[in-house]
Amino acid sequence: MVDSTLETILNKVQKPGRYVGNEWNSCLKEHDQVQLRMVLAFPDLYEVGMSNQGIKILYDSVNKDVDLLIERVFAPAADMEEQLRQEGYPLFALESGKPLNAFDIVGFSLQYELSYTNVLNMLDLAGIPIYSKQRGDNHPLIIGGGPCSFNPEPLAPFFDLFLLGEAEEALPLLLKEIIINKQNGLTREELLVQLSSRQGVYVPSFYNPLYSSGRFSGFEKLIEQAPDAIEKNYVADLDSAPYPTAPVVPYIQTAHDRAVVEIFRGCSRGCRFCQAGYIFKPVRRRSSEKIIETARDLIALTGYDEISLSSLSSSDYPGVDELINRLDEALAGKGVRCSLPSLRLDSYAVTLAEKLHQGRRSTLTFAPEAATERLRKVIGKRISEAEIYQALTAAVTAGWQGFKLYFMIGLPTEEDADVEAIVELCRELRQTFRRQGRHNIRFVISIATFVPKAHSPFQWEPQLSMPSVIRRQQLLIEKFRKMPWVEFSWHDAETSFLEAVFARGDRRLAPLLEKAWQLGCRFDGWSEHFSYSRWQKAFEALGINPEDYANRSYSYADPLPWDHLHCGVEKEALVKEHRLAFSVPAEQGSEG
Amino acid sequence: MRLLQRALRRSTLPLAYSQGYNPRLRLNLALPLPLGVTANREYGELYLSEKIDPAQLISSLSAQLPAGLELLGVFEVSAESSSLAALVAAACYRAKLVDAKEKSLAVVQIERAVSKLMAAEELLMPRSGKKKKQISDINIRPYIFELRLDSGLRAVPEVVMLLKAGSDGGVSPFYLLQLLDACEPDCGSEARQWSVERESLYLISNGALIPLTEGA
Repeated sequence: MVDSTLETILNKVQKPGRYVGNEWNSCLKEHDQVQLRMVLAFPDLYEVGMSNQGIKILYDSVNKDVDLLIERVFAPAADMEEQLRQEGYPLFALESGKPLNAFDIVGFSLQYELSYTNVLNMLDLAGIPIYSKQRGDNHPLIIGGGPCSFNPEPLAPFFDLFLLGEAEEALPLLLKEIIINKQNGLTREELLVQLSSRQGVYVPSFYNPLYSSGRFSGFEKLIEQAPDAIEKNYVADLDSAPYPTAPVVPYIQTAHDRAVVEIFRGCSRGCRFCQAGYIFKPVRRRSSEKIIETARDLIALTGYDEISLSSLSSSDYPGVDELINRLDEALAGKGVRCSLPSLRLDSYAVTLAEKLHQGRRSTLTFAPEAATERLRKVIGKRISEAEIYQALTAAVTAGWQGFKLYFMIGLPTEEDADVEAIVELCRELRQTFRRQGRHNIRFVISIATFVPKAHSPFQWEPQLSMPSVIRRQQLLIEKFRKMPWVEFSWHDAETSFLEAVFARGDRRLAPLLEKAWQLGCRFDGWSEHFSYSRWQKAFEALGINPEDYANRSYSYADPLPWDHLHCGVEKEALVKEHRLAFSVPAEQGSEG
Repeated sequence: MRLLQRALRRSTLPLAYSQGYNPRLRLNLALPLPLGVTANREYGELYLSEKIDPAQLISSLSAQLPAGLELLGVFEVSAESSSLAALVAAACYRAKLVDAKEKSLAVVQIERAVSKLMAAEELLMPRSGKKKKQISDINIRPYIFELRLDSGLRAVPEVVMLLKAGSDGGVSPFYLLQLLDACEPDCGSEARQWSVERESLYLISNGALIPLTEGA
């Protein structure tokens, strides 16, 4: 669906393949043949969005319904934005090429706090007023979902509603109810009142935040019918839930360019820093029969040469080795590789990896997160020192040539010694491998900064102050500089700081987002676009101290801006986990 | 290429894979298209693990191809015959000037540049040698079999180029267009924009270039 203006535009931008659609398995429906039209908006580049499994699941589950259609739109890169603005060409959906304004619903997938400015930019590029109160009956309903909707307050004034939790079953039902209500002639406001009684629906404009002495103190409801608390939706049984076996196959290379079968959802480990481990509870498994059937269909309908068995911790699937055997049999002779992401660091995982990588054994990736056993106990990552050595030496024996290890700094109770232990661990592992006769094992070390997230047991904890984060990074930089055999990278401290500000932000941050966007902030998660000085300008202009958000320590009694949004884990359970974290006896030093 | 590989995998054809730990489809294109060049037709060869009727291949694969890509023909060749990539000796490109404002002036300038280039005995193209820093120039004048302006005075200027191509060296149509532009720069400050299409491939038979066609 490319007209002549768009063709001229596409000739001037990089990777026009991001904007043309028409991929294999994309779904083209006539707008006048359905009752309701939705566009699924992903506030990042096509390559990133098309690697997101949630997008593919929802695309499938909504398009399955004959009364509904769902198309896709991604954030245009800077060069495309420039062209669109210059030509006055509105942001459009890939399938039909129609502007976003021609749809009944625009639904944003909110995966990452640093894509928020892109949300505003996409609305603006589509000619849609960014604030919900500025929109009328002729504008699409702007809705949001995904992990960030568990604390969407910084975005609240821009959205008409949020749908909490898993949406593959709940979203088509919500859309069907909208059809009925529209047929009954309900106004926008009446429609929102009606929808607010549905499970998982959060209409932010019905809740007015209150503040006392500069701090959030709770909500007052503006509409009596609005529920006091919103319970998330989740799929009871993965086997019967919709799952795409014919996902769109991109022409251009994407971040994860492969077929994906989700083998289970949720995580039984409960690491205390990890939001996903809590908001995706309970753990639900897909049966091995269903997995194999899905994998077979996926390969037949996409032509991919790799299938990934995804989950938050794939080696935890009961009987996963048996599953891999059966999958190998089912796909024999098709030249298909099988991969297992998110492996736990233990010997069992190494055995699994051996099974998957017949021959080609380059780098294995693990996330120990902390280098001392004490700190790993605090964060709930229960792997012992002995297990790490056992697993990695076994991997070296099996022929692996290197490891990529993820660590975090700034974790609660962390001291310099814990950070230095990362370097020590590398050094000692290298010694161990040398004794095994393997002198050239590659080490790739990646360091993230801890970001306290809503609904995790560490939601009350402060982020380590930026100067301290930078100091600890510097500590590592200096030590690793003398170890040229380690490839060392770290996350930008300012980016993680901003992520922390928004992860636990409240509604007062909305005007700040608008300001930052006006100052030119886009793609803040991309280091080549991120400009902290623009953000500083925005903070100053609005008189907001970002440290009040990122570095604040909450008490259990403090009202939290996301208290009314329920992810299925009781606050008491989080309190218990939080307490447990700090009752871990310190081996060395104090608890900080 | 990725598109073709995936279409083939979706089809139920008996595909042959390369040996090794990372099996790949045995699919080769006669001469990969340079980035930014369009083509009307492309040639390639595919190995199968068992003999099938060409008509069956056409129907199975066509069902998996997106709109805009059509399988024109399938011919069985003996496994011993040399590969298409080894046979290809030259390629013919047609370049059209995009956004031509002063058409007749552009025609005159390009005509002049074409004669200059064709009259030259030597045209040197810098090429990085096998050792990193060593750069040697190669004379690409013998690589130009034909170069001419193919349009009237009022039409959008079009240049036809028949250039050496294939495994033992060749020259990109864009490099030649660069030379043209350098000879007779556009009166404006910007470089000329060309849209390039590959019209046909050639192979050498008895010392003469003959177009690669179906069944040849």
